[in-house]
Amino acid sequence: MTDTALYPAESPSLASPMPDEPRVIARFGRIDVAEIIGSAISAAALTWLLFSAVAWNGAFGALLIWYATFIVMYRTVARAVHGRLVATDRVMTVVLTTCAALAFVPLVMIIIFVVSKGLKYLTASFFTDTLEAVGPQDSGGGAFHSIVGTLQQVGLAAAVAIPLAILTAVYLNEVKGRMSRGVRFVIDSMSGLPSIVAGLFVYSFWVVELGKGFSGFAGSMALIVLFIPTVTRASEEMLRIVPDSLREASLALGAPQWKTVLRVVLPNARSGLISAAILGTARAIGETAPMVLTVLGSSSLNWNVFEANQDDLPLFILKLIRSPNETQIARAWTGALVLVTLVLFLFTLARILGRDRRKATR
Amino acid sequence: MNLDVAATGSITVPAIDLRTTDDVFARETADARAAVTPRPGSTLIADSVSAWFGQRKVLEQVSLAMRPNEVTALIGPSGCGKSTFLRILNRMHELVPSAGLAGQVLLDGVDIYGSQMRVTETRLKIGMVFQKPNPFPTMTIEENVLSGLKLSGSKPTMDKRQLVESCLRRAGLWEEVKTRLDALGGALSGGQQQRLCIARALAVTPDVLLMDEPCSALDPMSTRIIEETMRELVQQVTIVIVTHNMQQAARVSDQCAFFLVEEMEQPGRVVEAGTTSQMFSAPGDPRTSDYIQGRFG
Repeated sequence: MTDTALYPAESPSLASPMPDEPRVIARFGRIDVAEIIGSAISAAALTWLLFSAVAWNGAFGALLIWYATFIVMYRTVARAVHGRLVATDRVMTVVLTTCAALAFVPLVMIIIFVVSKGLKYLTASFFTDTLEAVGPQDSGGGAFHSIVGTLQQVGLAAAVAIPLAILTAVYLNEVKGRMSRGVRFVIDSMSGLPSIVAGLFVYSFWVVELGKGFSGFAGSMALIVLFIPTVTRASEEMLRIVPDSLREASLALGAPQWKTVLRVVLPNARSGLISAAILGTARAIGETAPMVLTVLGSSSLNWNVFEANQDDLPLFILKLIRSPNETQIARAWTGALVLVTLVLFLFTLARILGRDRRKATR
Repeated sequence: MNLDVAATGSITVPAIDLRTTDDVFARETADARAAVTPRPGSTLIADSVSAWFGQRKVLEQVSLAMRPNEVTALIGPSGCGKSTFLRILNRMHELVPSAGLAGQVLLDGVDIYGSQMRVTETRLKIGMVFQKPNPFPTMTIEENVLSGLKLSGSKPTMDKRQLVESCLRRAGLWEEVKTRLDALGGALSGGQQQRLCIARALAVTPDVLLMDEPCSALDPMSTRIIEETMRELVQQVTIVIVTHNMQQAARVSDQCAFFLVEEMEQPGRVVEAGTTSQMFSAPGDPRTSDYIQGRFG
C-alpha cells in the first residue's frame, strides 16, 4: 500500500516526510523548568523581604514560609500559562516529589552521620582484634569478637527459623489444615511481642531456671521467637500471590499436593520468599534488648556459641557508646558503621537473589 | 477450510478437510499424523451426576456418555454448569471447599470417585486444558512439556527429547519453538502458550482430554491450529470440550450435549444430547434450535 492511498495528495506529511526514527516525546520542556525555577527564586526573594522587614529569624521558619510561597506562586504561574487542570496536576506533582525527597532525608542523614563518625577507627585491625586487654586510651583494639558473635547468633537463629517459618506459611496457605486458624492467631499475636519480652522469657527459663547460663545460643533462641512470625507472615503473602491456575494445572496433571507445592508453588514464590527471609535476618541483626539478657556481652573472643557469654555488634555499640572516653565512643561508631554495612549488604543480597528469573531472561 | 459458517438459518456441518491447508502448519499436521497411530480410546460415562456449591444446586441428574475416538462438545449459555460438569470428570470439582457431588463417573467401567482409583491416577488418565493458558512460568518450554511426568512421578514411554518433539508436533507448536526449547514458558504468545499446555497434557498420554473453552482467549489462527490438533488427537484420546462458539462445536465435535438452566435459581440440566449433525440440522427440542441459531443465550 502506498502513502497516497492513506493521505490526500495535498497532505503536508507527504511534502516533508517524517524521519523514521524514535521520537523524543517531551512532557516537561525547558519552559516548564523555567516556571519552577522562577517561582522558587521569587518565593525566596519574597521570603527574604518579609524576614528583613519584620525582623524575623530562624532558618526552619524561613524554609517553611519559602515553600508555602513557592507553591502558591507556582500554582498562579502554571494556572495563567496552562490553565486550571494542568496547574493542579503540576502542583500535586511538585508536592508529591517533595514528600518523596523528604522520606530520603533521614536515611541519607543516618548514613552520612554513621560513615563520618565511624571512618576514624575503620582499620584492618578493627576486624582482627578484640577488646581483650585493650585499655580505654589504647589505640588498636577491634570488634572481631562481636562480629563473630553476631554472625553465629543470627546465623543459628536464621538456620532454624527460616525453614520453620516457610513450612508454617505452607501449612497456612497450602495445606489449610484444621489447626491453621489457631496457628495464624498465635503467629499474629507473636508478631506483636516486644523483643525485650522474648529476651526475658529466654532469660528466666533457660538462663536462670534451667541454669544454662548466658550464651550465644540463648540469644539465638530469643531471636528465633522474634524471627518466626515476621518471616511466616511475609512468606504467606508471597505464597498467596501465586495464581491458583498454576496449582490447578499441576493437580490436573496428576501431581500429588506435596509435589505441587515443591515444584510449582515454591519455585514461583522463590524471589519473594528469599526477600522475606533476608529482610527478617536484617531485622534480627540489629536486635539489642533481648541480647543484653541472654548473651550478656564480652570483651574477649568466644568461638563457642553454646557456652558462656559472647558479644555481638549491638552489645559492642551499647557498651562503648556509654563510655566517657572518646576513643571508646569512636570505636562504637565504627561498630555501628560495620552493622549498617552488614544490613545494607543483606538488603542488596536480597535484591540480587530475589531477582526474577522470568524477567531476567525476557 | 471453511471458517465462516452462515449464522442464520439452519447450520450445516462443514466437513473438515485438512488436506486443503496450504501453509507451514499443514506440514506439521502431516508430520504429526504420521506419528499418530490410532488406538482405542476410553469411554467416559457420567451417570446421574448432580453438583452443589454449598446449598446451591448447580447441576441435576446429568447422564452422558463420552465415546472413544470422538469429540464431545458441551454447549449452552453461561452459568449452566458446563464447566462444573467438565471439572467433575477429572475430580477438579472437589478442590472448591464447598463443592458437593452425587452420582458416579465411570472411566472404562471404573468409578473415578470410588476407592479403586486414586485421585492422582484419575487426573493422570484424564487430562485437562484450561480456559486461560497456564504454562508454568518458572519452567522452560521443554520442562513445561515434561512437567507432567515429573509432577506425577510417571516414567516416560520414550526418550525425553523425542517425547518433547512428538508432543509439541501434535500440539502444532514444534516449528515455532524448536530453536528455543530452553526459553521460559511465559515468553510465548497466548496462542502458543495454550498449545504448550496441550502438549504438556499430552506428554502423560492421557486416555481422555478435557478442554474448557480452550480457544476463548485466542485469535482465529491459533484457534484453527488447535481445532486441527483436536481432530488429530481424537484418534488416540477421547476429547470433551466446553465451548461457547457454535461454529466451533459444529466444526470439531462428533457428539454434542446442550446444557440449560430453565429458570433462574434452578440447576442446569442436559436438554438434549446426540450427534452433532443431528443436533445442528434437526434438533429435537425447540430450545436447542433457538440456542444454536442464536435466538437467545
